[in-house]
Amino acid sequence: MEIQGYHIPEDLLYTKEHEWAKEEGGTVRVGITDYAAKTLNDVVYVTSPKTNASVQQMKSMGTVESIKAVSEIYSPVSGTVTKVNAQLDSHPELVNKSPYGEGWLVEVKPTDYASEKKSLLDAKAYAAHIESVLKQ
Amino acid sequence: MLRTTQLHDYHAKHSKLTEFAGFEMPLWYTSTVEEHLAVRNASGIFDVSHMGRFAVKGGKASGFLESLVPTNVQSQPLSKAFYTLLLNDRGGIIDDLIIEKLAEDRYMVVVNAANAQTDMNHMASRAPNGLDIEDHTPSSAMIAVQGPRAQDSLQTLTQLDLSQLKRFRCAETTVAGEHALISRTGYTGEDGFEVIVYQATNDRPEGAVKVWEKLAETSAPCGLGARDSLRLEAGFPLHGSDIDQSTDPYEADLAWVISAGKTGFVGSEALANPEVQRPRTIRKGLVLDSGIPRHGFGVDGPAGSVGEVTSGTFSPITRKGIALCRISAESSEFGTRVSVKVREAQQGGTISKPPFYDEQLFGWKRQKR
Repeated sequence: MEIQGYHIPEDLLYTKEHEWAKEEGGTVRVGITDYAAKTLNDVVYVTSPKTNASVQQMKSMGTVESIKAVSEIYSPVSGTVTKVNAQLDSHPELVNKSPYGEGWLVEVKPTDYASEKKSLLDAKAYAAHIESVLKQ
Repeated sequence: MLRTTQLHDYHAKHSKLTEFAGFEMPLWYTSTVEEHLAVRNASGIFDVSHMGRFAVKGGKASGFLESLVPTNVQSQPLSKAFYTLLLNDRGGIIDDLIIEKLAEDRYMVVVNAANAQTDMNHMASRAPNGLDIEDHTPSSAMIAVQGPRAQDSLQTLTQLDLSQLKRFRCAETTVAGEHALISRTGYTGEDGFEVIVYQATNDRPEGAVKVWEKLAETSAPCGLGARDSLRLEAGFPLHGSDIDQSTDPYEADLAWVISAGKTGFVGSEALANPEVQRPRTIRKGLVLDSGIPRHGFGVDGPAGSVGEVTSGTFSPITRKGIALCRISAESSEFGTRVSVKVREAQQGGTISKPPFYDEQLFGWKRQKR
């Protein structure tokens, strides 16, 4: 769906801090949302956790930076990082161009995603969250 | 309540707005990086109408300004625009500014928006009888046209042969039929111009809007985001971040503005002190190996803290983190290796001489293509 120009795919889960999560064959792929990328304006630098690092749900696992600002990335899921999007080192702009595709950040092997995902938002709830943020 | 410039309607329609120095201003129109690259590769325009513009007039104008700034004024040729500083009695920098000499008895003084009121008070409190200081900020607009194609862009709107206007020279003429003052100056490191459109108030902004919209046909509108990244890449200080009233010209690495042998200006006694002339900390450039330095980050040498980042960003041209920093004199030599703590990681960096880009390829000195 689309809320005020921000794309929100229906098949993902979201955090209130504007990360998305997608479960695929035992791992969870993580990125930042179209809203987060557009708000930063132009992502010029991404600091992701390293492979094998452990991450915790809603704890900072890295940063996304624009020319002007630094934004923390909060992990939507607890577990171990299995893969990092190495393309972002030389092409951080992929986060803007394709936040749900080529601009993904990391893949995590989750420890307890079945229960953790209950605290994430579905597309509809995330859209409502964006609307309330925009109203402020 | 935020102030607005004569071009606010355009900004509100086309840009992401931000607050700066009490004004509502454009932060970016498309993207800071795109606008930055437009200026380095072609031409960009900036609304800088928020900056203070003061006309200093009358027979006492030259002598008054002479007593105020560390740069010689009376010996400047007509039509010269020059960069200088306003200092307090301790030699601290109240503001950095451009003075344009329009006649022996008429100058235009262009100052930072955030300091305009302070500067006006400083000047007014020292003004002799018969000196006239007019605030042109609300009655005029100011547009910067910057980049290797800035001349082509502006030339379409004026009869003045811009190829004959040298760097740091100015001339009064018309632009799109509007009475204007053009100077070949800027804050990006590129060739370019700053155009004051004389007759433009917020109630009657039409003249300024016409100039802006015509320029926008050949130059990319740019916001304050790109203005900041461009000036940082060129190594220009921002008053309030890199320099302030507690920084003197030696600490600011701006001692070159002090004309040789000049005395009798505000702050001159403090600056004559040999101790002051050997500053303990100095403003220098810094390039990080990895990561982006930000305002307030500490700079360390082998034996601990040697300074701090006063402004930092990511350079879209070099694709590295760059900064201006206040650093102890012992660690300020170009090539000195330091480290900066970027959140939890310690990143290596090198004290470097701005501009941070290759001057063969970018900036006003570049090889003409």
